[in-house]
Amino acid sequence: MKILSVSTATNHLSVALNDDQSVIVEKSEQDERNHSEHLDPLIDEIMQANNLQLKDLDRFAVAIGPGSYTGLRIGITTVKMFASILNKEVVGISTLQALAAGCSDQNTLIVAGIDARNDNYFAGGYVNEGGLPVNVLADGHYHISSLLEAVKEYLANKSVSKIIFIGSGFTKQEELLKALAVPFSYGTDDQNVIHAGLIGKLAETATPTDPDQLLPNYLRRTQAEVDWHKKTGKPFEPDSNYVEEV
Amino acid sequence: MSKQKDIRILAYESSCDETSTAVIKNGREIESLIVATQIKSHQRFGGVVPEVASRHHIEVISQITKEALAQANATWDDIDAIAVTYGPGLVGALLIGVSAAKAASMATGIPLIGVDHIMGHIMAAQLTDEIEYPALALQVSGGHTEIVLMKDPTHFEIVGDTRDDAAGEAYDKIGRVLGVKYPAGKTIDDWAHQGQDTFNFPRAMMTDDDYDFSFSGLKSAFINTCHHADQIHQELNKYDLAASFQAAVVDVLSTKTIRAIKEYQPKTFIMGGGVAANHGLRDRMSQEIAALPESMRPKVILPDLKLCGDNAAMIGAAAYNLYNEGKFADMTLNADPSLELPYAKNMLK
Repeated sequence: MKILSVSTATNHLSVALNDDQSVIVEKSEQDERNHSEHLDPLIDEIMQANNLQLKDLDRFAVAIGPGSYTGLRIGITTVKMFASILNKEVVGISTLQALAAGCSDQNTLIVAGIDARNDNYFAGGYVNEGGLPVNVLADGHYHISSLLEAVKEYLANKSVSKIIFIGSGFTKQEELLKALAVPFSYGTDDQNVIHAGLIGKLAETATPTDPDQLLPNYLRRTQAEVDWHKKTGKPFEPDSNYVEEV
Repeated sequence: MSKQKDIRILAYESSCDETSTAVIKNGREIESLIVATQIKSHQRFGGVVPEVASRHHIEVISQITKEALAQANATWDDIDAIAVTYGPGLVGALLIGVSAAKAASMATGIPLIGVDHIMGHIMAAQLTDEIEYPALALQVSGGHTEIVLMKDPTHFEIVGDTRDDAAGEAYDKIGRVLGVKYPAGKTIDDWAHQGQDTFNFPRAMMTDDDYDFSFSGLKSAFINTCHHADQIHQELNKYDLAASFQAAVVDVLSTKTIRAIKEYQPKTFIMGGGVAANHGLRDRMSQEIAALPESMRPKVILPDLKLCGDNAAMIGAAAYNLYNEGKFADMTLNADPSLELPYAKNMLK
């Protein structure tokens, strides 16, 4: 199965072509806020180098979130249009599961996270089972204190020999991490970035989604909605109730 | 002479709070137009919240692509180019259309055209009638108030611009003071027709020797008048307030535009943008132009009311002109939130 995978969830842009479980090619760019300019040319480069056209692929995969809201939408819009137009399968993979897939250590709690500023993290907990990262602490938006509470609770019930913190922004929490009951380490530079090749591997066994329904998993409502809800006490309605064709 | 092949363009527009797709034949004929509006969502906040807008755009973009093709009875094989607004506008919102159009272009091999949103608004006129050049446009919306001179279908130059607020922005701000739901333009226009210009608000820069505008003084005068009345517990007539505000806006816009028409002698005069749907402004411009001597009276094109707001049909119309000139974009096309038409040389910026 040929899969094209994309991550635009962080400032590290990554695109990969997988064939079954092997990564044929993975290309990355550290391009800050310019994914829109670089994503399509990078895809084009990979396809041409492998003598393939988009229609020759079986499946598209993308980091579905969490991550930079604007970044996520660039990658997701791109693959949802590919899949929709070419009638191909599409799969959204958790950005945090993709990060966790970079660690195959056994008997290890993998905490994958993205720095969301002010000691907040988009984070989730995973353990590697049979080569796949399995979610054990739900992906969410956590303050570091509540994230570590959840980790402690996990450690109280399950036995792991160590913890690895993968992603961004964890080293500045070192004092708090030292208080955990088991030894911990940080991911390597290579583990700390999202690899589209790993998304491709996870995507092979994942269940495809209807391209129209493929949407970012932001894990947070917008501030404007939260403020509106607080002020008015009105319930959040499904987004589709707010958009009308005229 | 053999009949030329019809050119069909699939267009995208997502610069603010409308997600829209359209199929346009030969730059003139709307074969389909889909507009998904988010007004109901942003009314919760009293104005457009950019992140909320972007979230809504991505929810509908692939569906409305299929709908535009279906409504036009077309498949991708019938499409000659894919067009998209790449600026100006909200960057996150623009990026949905840009990403979608680029992906569609890559998936189908159909060439891509990037369109300036303002050029699109002006070219809504092309969907109503044939434009003869040179043409002059008064482009008035929530983000822009410009007088634009067009040598030909793709060369546009700004000869007058607002120094501060756009006219549509002033409508929304005074609408808020009067308790009118965003967007306020239509209600204020309706009220204005039921009142009299009794407040004599300032007409800034009306007699200045340039084609520039300023609406922030008018907005402040309006707000001060309302606040002062509040303080002394005096109730003002909202219809007269609306009529007085609109009279000031329309006086300035029409006076300066007529002067520009006299100087540049265009063959066609066009109005574009959301405020081009304002009846007070449409009527006044039509009257003033009808009163010009025949030798300097341009043909007038006021776009259909449904094409004044943001829509992809106008983008498809503008893209057709770029298509004819071979002006295509490549896969590095990016959103440009502060894209501007070029300014005329004699304009100080």
